[in-house]
Amino acid sequence: MSEKMINVTEPVATEPVVTETEKKPSRKPKTNKRKASVFVITAFLIIGCITILFPLYITIVIALKSPSEMTNDISGALSLPQHFSLDNFAEAMRVTDFWRSLGNSVLITGASIVLSVIIHSMAGYALGRNMNRKKKFKMIYFYIVSGMFVPFAILMMPLVKQTSILGLDNMFGVILLYTVFYMPMNVMLYSGYMKNVPLAMEEAADIDGASAWRTYWTIIFPMMKPMHATVAILTALGTWNDVMTPLVIMSGSENTTLPLAQLNFQTQFGTNYNLAFASYLLALLPILILYIFCQKQIIGGVATGAVKG
Amino acid sequence: MRKSRVVISLLTAAAISVSTLLSGCSADSGKDGVTTVTMLQYKPEAVKAFEKIEKLFNETHDDIQLKIESPNEAMTVLKTRLIREDYPDIVGIGGDMNYSNFLDADLFEDISDIEVIGEIKPAYLKMEKELELLPKEGTYALPYVSNAAGILYIKEMFDENGWEIPETWSDFIALCDEIKKTGTDLLYLGYKDTWTCLAPWNALAVGLAPSDVCSSVNAGKTTFAAEYSEVAEKIKVLLDYAEPNPYAYSYNDACTAFARGQSAMFPIGSYAVPQILSVNPDMNIDSFTFPANDKEEDNVLNSGIDLHFSVMKGTKNKEAVYEVLRFLFKDETVQIYLDEQGGVPCKEGDFELPDFLSGMEQYIKNDRMSDFHDHHYPSEMSVDAMIQTYLMDKSNNSAQIFLERFDKEWTRYNRDLIARVKKYEEGQK
Amino acid sequence: MKNKKVLSKRMTYVVMIAPALILFILFNTIPLITGAFYSFTNYKGYGSFEFVGLRNYIDLFSDARVGNSYLFTFKYAIIGTLLVNVLSLLLALGLNSKIKFKSALRAVYFLPNVLGGLVVGYIFSFIFTYIIPAIASALHINFLENSILAGEDTAWIGVLIVGVWQAVAMNTIIYISGLQTIPADIYEAGMIDGVTPWQKFRHLTLPMLMPFVTTNLILSTKNMLMVFDQIMALTKGGPAQSTESISYLIYKNGMDGGQFGFQSANAVVFFIVIVAISIFQMVITNKKEEQL
Repeated sequence: MSEKMINVTEPVATEPVVTETEKKPSRKPKTNKRKASVFVITAFLIIGCITILFPLYITIVIALKSPSEMTNDISGALSLPQHFSLDNFAEAMRVTDFWRSLGNSVLITGASIVLSVIIHSMAGYALGRNMNRKKKFKMIYFYIVSGMFVPFAILMMPLVKQTSILGLDNMFGVILLYTVFYMPMNVMLYSGYMKNVPLAMEEAADIDGASAWRTYWTIIFPMMKPMHATVAILTALGTWNDVMTPLVIMSGSENTTLPLAQLNFQTQFGTNYNLAFASYLLALLPILILYIFCQKQIIGGVATGAVKG
Repeated sequence: MRKSRVVISLLTAAAISVSTLLSGCSADSGKDGVTTVTMLQYKPEAVKAFEKIEKLFNETHDDIQLKIESPNEAMTVLKTRLIREDYPDIVGIGGDMNYSNFLDADLFEDISDIEVIGEIKPAYLKMEKELELLPKEGTYALPYVSNAAGILYIKEMFDENGWEIPETWSDFIALCDEIKKTGTDLLYLGYKDTWTCLAPWNALAVGLAPSDVCSSVNAGKTTFAAEYSEVAEKIKVLLDYAEPNPYAYSYNDACTAFARGQSAMFPIGSYAVPQILSVNPDMNIDSFTFPANDKEEDNVLNSGIDLHFSVMKGTKNKEAVYEVLRFLFKDETVQIYLDEQGGVPCKEGDFELPDFLSGMEQYIKNDRMSDFHDHHYPSEMSVDAMIQTYLMDKSNNSAQIFLERFDKEWTRYNRDLIARVKKYEEGQK
Repeated sequence: MKNKKVLSKRMTYVVMIAPALILFILFNTIPLITGAFYSFTNYKGYGSFEFVGLRNYIDLFSDARVGNSYLFTFKYAIIGTLLVNVLSLLLALGLNSKIKFKSALRAVYFLPNVLGGLVVGYIFSFIFTYIIPAIASALHINFLENSILAGEDTAWIGVLIVGVWQAVAMNTIIYISGLQTIPADIYEAGMIDGVTPWQKFRHLTLPMLMPFVTTNLILSTKNMLMVFDQIMALTKGGPAQSTESISYLIYKNGMDGGQFGFQSANAVVFFIVIVAISIFQMVITNKKEEQL
């Protein structure tokens, strides 16, 4: 580490040393320059936000308009609606059976999180504690983690057949599949996290005569709390927005998820873009609201996940 | 001791959650004495008609509960269900290659003993027979409605300007040039959805190529390059009269544009009319047969089976299924469908043809009709996308490239079938 | 006594791994094997099938459509990965500097990551088809007056824009967390020496950030290679089959087109390609890290 740093700083230090010492007395221009650059960066970043917020603005504006207010020029699409009306939303909710698909989405995401946290943390713990000592555990660890490279496309068609044979061509099947799809990443996160949990705790509990099972649930599981949050957030973001799995596993059943409903009702929307956009907005709304209230936690969770992974 | 208790409680908790989830998904299988018949039909735009039919059936039948599903992307849904072996009792699909493949895979029940067959026009039953990849004994589908494709036009616009319905290709081009001079857009194509490219393609192909071209090619008697060159040439001419950049707009967009009077004509099938009318209910639409030839008598109307019903093999309630089929073929039920969706009924009888088909009536009455060519194209070959590619290709020899590709891909995608046909024919000898 | 306890401890570990392992075998390994099995058949997904040996694999290499889907997917993934990483690194540097409204800006830039790809695709589809051409014709920008989704040569750019728009968020967050691991005193050392910002970045920041670059490259390449939702919403593979990604083709023709067997072979090859690329990337970036 230290060697690296020396290497890095050396070539830089050679040239501008002299000029810098000359400038040193007058510090003021520099802070001004600093201020200016902060201003420029801030300005750029704020302008950049337009690229993010513009599509959302369009969605909201179109969702609130009636079809007659839509014209083919820019003002027709971009202007604010003349009358404030929620008719499109009411209609979209009726057409897509909003509450039901919302319920399904919540159930699928919630259950996937719970199953993932329980099953993956156990496996991550057991593997993380043993893989450096026992070859078999190490093999299992790599076996599961290598699942990260398996594209869904190859599993898709066999899974359609298999889930139906097992009677799992429904929400429960989708939940189980998510538990499997996120397993490689989550197991890696959990077992990586075990490096930060000192063995001393378990050893103390061991001496007290507690079983390994009990030690896990009373001591280790609560200690993994930050990782649970990360796993829950990553699993939730992935499952909430996923279309392909419910599309192929549950197609034909009356149950849809919120994103899948948008796909299924494309024909019903026809060319009524206002209705369609109202429905899109409704589909985005739950996660938007959650995001507004918990953005710190969500960003933090994703960051830890990415750094550890 | 304590440990096992934890394990047991966890297991029970898991078991309970599993069972609640599972039961939540299959709650509707109670009620004694009532047979449930499920039907999946592939036309999502006909959902209203089928809701009505479903309601009427259930009101008049205490012992049978009919459930009709009309999902979006129904073919994918149906195929996914076939992969899953989760069959509905009845499927309502079109008379196309998918049907041929399903039939070939032995998925359908022989229903030649149902009496309504006697009421169906023989021409359509013959059309069904032609869809069999290898000749097969029995009846496997009941044709319900057929559609007709050609050109839809706005009647007022034609009347006001004194434009005449063209009967030959040169008349048609002359008319297009005339309309173009007035500054009106005349064709709206909506080629973003690839399948829309097939509408003018089929309408031209029935007039310009023999109806058995696919089986002739399979038998090695001809090539598509020879049979389709004129079709390819003429479909490209249409682009000169279309909206700028038709690949930007979808079928939905095209329907809306036509409904708003943004174009005088729309080369599409009668199946588009309900959607167009939903945008502009007061519109006066009429139609005419695509004038593909330079002699009127060579023109043929493009008409095929839009919807027919088949019974899935292994259905447990054949009697109830037959009752549903009989109900569907009652005159009143057919009329409900026609009122909502339009189309040409396959059943004999005095049904009112919708106004928008009056321009095609003569062809229908005189049986000058031929099935959609794409009903014989394998779907994985994506001929629609190939046509779109060809239309977008601006090079001079684009037609040659396209037709060569057509022949090459055809033999590739159909080689198993070609081999089987050969074997079958040798067996016949 | 003690022996028994050790044994039960090991048993506990086994019990803890068992549910994960069973599920993984059942829903990952078994379908992987069945998929490989079907790749040697002409199965349509229903009905009967025959073994065709290696025919599907031989066909794969002569199938222009499959070839094009690989070309498209790779073009998309390579350009996408580069764009995403450059943009997100710039954003991360900006968002990590001492600016105003820092947390609000971060929240906005991360937003695309929480939104679903399909719905975002539908919204952009409308923007590309109607809004951009309308703006372009008002401002007389000729080349934008046609929807970019309608051009054979431009549609992939539309898909790319949406893909990048969504993917930048995640990578930015990763780069920001990377930047925060760099201790401030290194910069202070550099500051006294009066280094230009570029030098500072090149010789101080980037080397420290290298592990995060690795993570990001692997992550975005993998995601970009599997592009599906955007295609489904924006182009459905068109126009002129110019935007058919591998995943889309497998879905479209495998499920819908009756090519279950053939597309299984395609999926097997795709799997091997992804594994190869990931290993290759890891080896290369590990080397780079050592060099720096």
